[in-house]
Amino acid sequence: MQNTEHAIEVTGLRTRYGDREVLKGLTFSIPRGKTTVILGGSGCGKSTLLKHLIGLLRPSAGSIRINGREITTLDEPGMDRVRGKMGVLFQGAALLNSMTIADNVALPIREHTKINEATLQIMVRMKLDLVGLSGFDHFYPSQLSGGMKKRAGLARALALDPEMLFFDEPSAGLDPVTAAGLDELIMKLRNVFRMTIIVVTHELPSVFAIADYVIMLDKGQILFAGTLDGLRASDHPRIRMFLERKPEQQAYSPDDYFRVIAGE
Amino acid sequence: MKIDVGDYKGNKVVSLAGEIDMHSSPALRERLLVLIRERPQRLVVNFRDVSYIDSSGIATFVEGLKHMRTYNGRLQFSEIPQGIMEIFSFSKLDKVFEICGTLDEAVNC
Ligand SMILES: Nc1ncnc2c1ncn2[C@@H]1O[C@H](COP(=O)(O)OP(=O)(O)OP(=O)(O)O)[C@@H](O)[C@H]1O
Ligand SMILES: [Mg+2]
Repeated sequence: MQNTEHAIEVTGLRTRYGDREVLKGLTFSIPRGKTTVILGGSGCGKSTLLKHLIGLLRPSAGSIRINGREITTLDEPGMDRVRGKMGVLFQGAALLNSMTIADNVALPIREHTKINEATLQIMVRMKLDLVGLSGFDHFYPSQLSGGMKKRAGLARALALDPEMLFFDEPSAGLDPVTAAGLDELIMKLRNVFRMTIIVVTHELPSVFAIADYVIMLDKGQILFAGTLDGLRASDHPRIRMFLERKPEQQAYSPDDYFRVIAGE
Repeated sequence: MKIDVGDYKGNKVVSLAGEIDMHSSPALRERLLVLIRERPQRLVVNFRDVSYIDSSGIATFVEGLKHMRTYNGRLQFSEIPQGIMEIFSFSKLDKVFEICGTLDEAVNC
């Protein structure tokens, strides 16, 4: 266990898909043992940022330090060790369809530890119960609803009792009661296990419930990084627009609009 | 993690120290199952010096208790630090395991 204040430190992070730059020089830190929410409009680069933080994508420039260790230059075995401390729930849950839910949750435990099978089965049932999926052990992903798949993905993310948890829109597609239950679970994980939790979300009620710290992206840059209270107090027009759920202003003049739809 | 097995007033006591996690719980399991094979009426686990327990550690105790219940044995936990107690409560197992204050309270109840 590290005692430094920041779990993650990012400096000058730039990345591109082809010749399109998506992240344009991000510098920020993520506090240890707290919940950080990443906000921003669709397509602004949130998922791309998350993939860099877990070492799935390499930046074209800049530095990412996890627990003080630079990961952008780490080899695969080194990165694997860092990932052993991370739990990740992607936007699409990404379960393996050929395996039952129980085996999906067991997979990281089987891969990373020497836990005996009997103990492992108990662990898997504990994780499934945590996300409200007790009794669904032997179901296959195709037999679950979207929200259930997401919760199964969360159970898998929790399999190794990670020190850091990454969620990409965990409550999208969940009914309000299940979503609130998920927020509560996130808060408990932070309080009881002092986990560092990083959540991408668009759900404002969820932001206000779980966030200690907020990072807001806009067009590949940091618009805001600070506490939830700081966000609430901000008078930046784009932040206000987001908090008050105002639609974007019409970006085009009528002539420009005509050219866009006419394909000129 | 350190595991010490001793006797206290005629009862077997397992004293643990350090972190009970995915790396150390297989060793804990071995020791526990060997002890339980003797079918002790009472097995006390002392948590005084435990700094962390994860779900593999908790699952190990669930497995132990499952075995002990087959012959009505009692698995008791003593001197649980506050942070560890929070983890037990979170796991909803604070009502399943016998949680006692001191070692004396455990062996006398
Ligand atoms: N594999 C890829 N190849 C090329 N471009 C990509 C790829 N993935 C994402 N992009 C582009 O990068 C930009 C950021 O995408 P990203 O998925 O990070 O957005 P996001 O903020 O997560 O959006 P959303 O809220 O809709 O999930 C988008 O403009 C997208 O078109
Ligand atoms: Mg996304």
